[in-house]
Amino acid sequence: MFFRMIKGALFRQKSKMIMIAVTIALGASLATAMLNIMLDVGDKVNQELKAYGANITVVPKENSVLTDLYALDGQEETAAAHLKEDDIGKIKTIFWGFNILDFTPFVNTTVVLDDETEVKLTGTWFNHHLALNTGEELDAGIHSLRSWWDVKNGQWLDEQKEGTANGGAMVGTVLAERLGISSGDSLHVKTSDGEKTLSVVGVFDSGGDEDEQIFTTLATAQELSGTKGLIDSIEVSALTTPDNELAKKAATKGPGSLSPADYETWYCTAYVSSICYQIQEAIPDSVASPVRQVAESEGNILDKTQLLMILITILSLFGSALGISNLVTASVMERSNEIGLLKAIGARDYRISGIVLTEIIITAVVGGVAGYFMGYGFAQIIGQTVFNSSIEMKPMVIPIVAVLIVIVTLAGSIPAIRMLLRLRPAEVLHGR
Amino acid sequence: MKKQTMFLRMITASLLRRRSRMLVALLAIAVGATILSGLVTIYYDVPRQMGEQFRSYGANMIFTSSNGKKLSKSEIDSAKKKINNSQLVGAAPYRYENMTVYERPLMAASTDFDEAQKTSPYWRVDGEWPSAEGQALVGQEIAATLEVKAGDTVTLVYDLDEAPATADEANKGERNQNSRDFTVAGILDTGGNEEKYIFISVPDMEALTGKTDVFDMTELSVSANRDELEKYADTITKNVDGVSARLVKRVTQSENTVLSKLQALVLLVTVIVLLLTMICVATTMMAVVTERRKEVGLRKALGASNKSIIFEFMGEGLLLGAIGGLLGSVCGFIFAQAVSMNVFNSSIQFHWVLIPITIIVSVLVTGLSCLLPVRSATDVDPALVLKGE
Repeated sequence: MFFRMIKGALFRQKSKMIMIAVTIALGASLATAMLNIMLDVGDKVNQELKAYGANITVVPKENSVLTDLYALDGQEETAAAHLKEDDIGKIKTIFWGFNILDFTPFVNTTVVLDDETEVKLTGTWFNHHLALNTGEELDAGIHSLRSWWDVKNGQWLDEQKEGTANGGAMVGTVLAERLGISSGDSLHVKTSDGEKTLSVVGVFDSGGDEDEQIFTTLATAQELSGTKGLIDSIEVSALTTPDNELAKKAATKGPGSLSPADYETWYCTAYVSSICYQIQEAIPDSVASPVRQVAESEGNILDKTQLLMILITILSLFGSALGISNLVTASVMERSNEIGLLKAIGARDYRISGIVLTEIIITAVVGGVAGYFMGYGFAQIIGQTVFNSSIEMKPMVIPIVAVLIVIVTLAGSIPAIRMLLRLRPAEVLHGR
Repeated sequence: MKKQTMFLRMITASLLRRRSRMLVALLAIAVGATILSGLVTIYYDVPRQMGEQFRSYGANMIFTSSNGKKLSKSEIDSAKKKINNSQLVGAAPYRYENMTVYERPLMAASTDFDEAQKTSPYWRVDGEWPSAEGQALVGQEIAATLEVKAGDTVTLVYDLDEAPATADEANKGERNQNSRDFTVAGILDTGGNEEKYIFISVPDMEALTGKTDVFDMTELSVSANRDELEKYADTITKNVDGVSARLVKRVTQSENTVLSKLQALVLLVTVIVLLLTMICVATTMMAVVTERRKEVGLRKALGASNKSIIFEFMGEGLLLGAIGGLLGSVCGFIFAQAVSMNVFNSSIQFHWVLIPITIIVSVLVTGLSCLLPVRSATDVDPALVLKGE
């Protein structure tokens, strides 16, 4: 009998129930979409912020400023410390290796051009293909670490293309203008260790000091500077968690000052300081330090964006909750006649509440499931339009949305049912 | 006149008599309107507020000399005037000179420390920022080489011979070195090139070198988007003699990329939330009105014309819409303000135009959602409606 009544109510009042289901679906889709976006926005914005380039630099331990400063004074470069080229891949093997998005080594040297002027030449990876011991393969290099470079003429150097790997070069726009060269031309350079003719693949505009430099492949620069298998520094771009008190303490006082429990938390969180620490562990005789300009600002902007999205999500959750409970209240109250009739023929209060609530819950479940998938669609639309990548659907959103909808529908219907039950059947049936 | 009074009385009476149900409808409209005005306010304010956050990446414009000489204060000031004062976050002039400490060559830079804190908020100082003359900020790498820490004293020596001497200095003749003691106020950690310099105040530098009013470059942090920045750089380079303004491409380009993404995100979220909320409001209103089919039937049976019934229901709906919209635009502003204070620690700009827009939108939505069920009720034979089917 109970089931027949519910079935009857659901099918006889089809249009009304559909309307309730639609509203619940809308509310649920809003909640689903916003929760998923909120949970994923940190990662997405973090990826976007990688446009600012590397946030960690790795230099050899003994490499003091002095080489730079002596060079600045026009003196001979002292025997500087180097990192080993073979060690670079170890960056990917650290605990947070998965968070290392890109990295590139640098070899800096000064070359003499045909007109006897000195120019800085930097050897690096452009899109170097790397096969790690772990079996992982990846392309690393400055292409993504210098996203603001504007290649004015020619193209990015492609290391994987035959012929460009050795002797290909990209020239800064200021230097190119001074020398009157463009892509396709060749450039003769010499150092105390050798000489070489570079073929210019592209001319770039970086809007900074790099405009006066030559960038070439690592092997070419090592050959010219006589440092085979050695590199001067590494730039690393890593996804990091914004610093908190713990990270600040570790950064200022050193990880040794932390208690064992704190140390473990710190080590197993992707703070920029713990990633630096792990890189130092992985690469012998190295010092990894965060580039404050990038690392600090990243954390700041991530925090703000996340907080903003959380607040907008709360508002929309609140809005959809009120929308659903409003409609449920309205639709229950509308049924005063029916409830009066049931009471008049002797139904108990709890039976009546049971029938009405079951109907509403069934409708809510149907609406909620439909809403979840609609929300999935909305989240993907936003993800594809804004970030060109799909939003990851977190499983934890499903229980949150389910609980939210149940609570909201119950909260919307129970007070209304109680109010109707309090009315006297005669009055209700009489039409008040 | 009489008809209008009756109309008003019927509307207000029906709102007041059916208090609880009307409250439900009003609440729905007000929540919808709150979301509308709140989100739109946030959407308009986000680029400005976020843009300010992006200033923590540091300078996005630099002034250098365009004629190969050094910059002077008057040149910098006249260039600065071209930039809207409210957009200028900071402008720090820098001057670099080769100096020695214990015979070790190093670079000393002079700057205005108050401005440097504004243009480079990411500088982390272990110790204090220099606040008086005779204090220096030492880059971490230099500090490690010299083995100094905050509170120590370093002696900077400037070789006057290497610099082209002015007539005044030439007259002094016998002394070719200037030296000065500095207290290390703090150690600077930036992870960048700044760690290789010793920073001192402008008067100290002028006293050491004997040359006043010379600067190598000025770093500016301007809270503006890329197009505006390009326009500023252009006008300054063209109109101010001796100054060439350039954008720091790394900062401006990246900011443009990230900020436009963020803005698109907030826009899409706003649109979707608004759309869904408006549909929610509409369904609630429809439910509230559908419930009154009987009333419509009764009136029709009493001889009311369809037109007057629709008119009256619409009147009710519009009144509700207006009240809800007004409530919502106030609540929405309060919400936006709370968000802004929490997220950005600054108050939001109030857009007066949003009040009428919110009211109009909520009136339209309520009006439309009333119209549909009322029309379907008036189309039906009153006898059928009254009978309950």
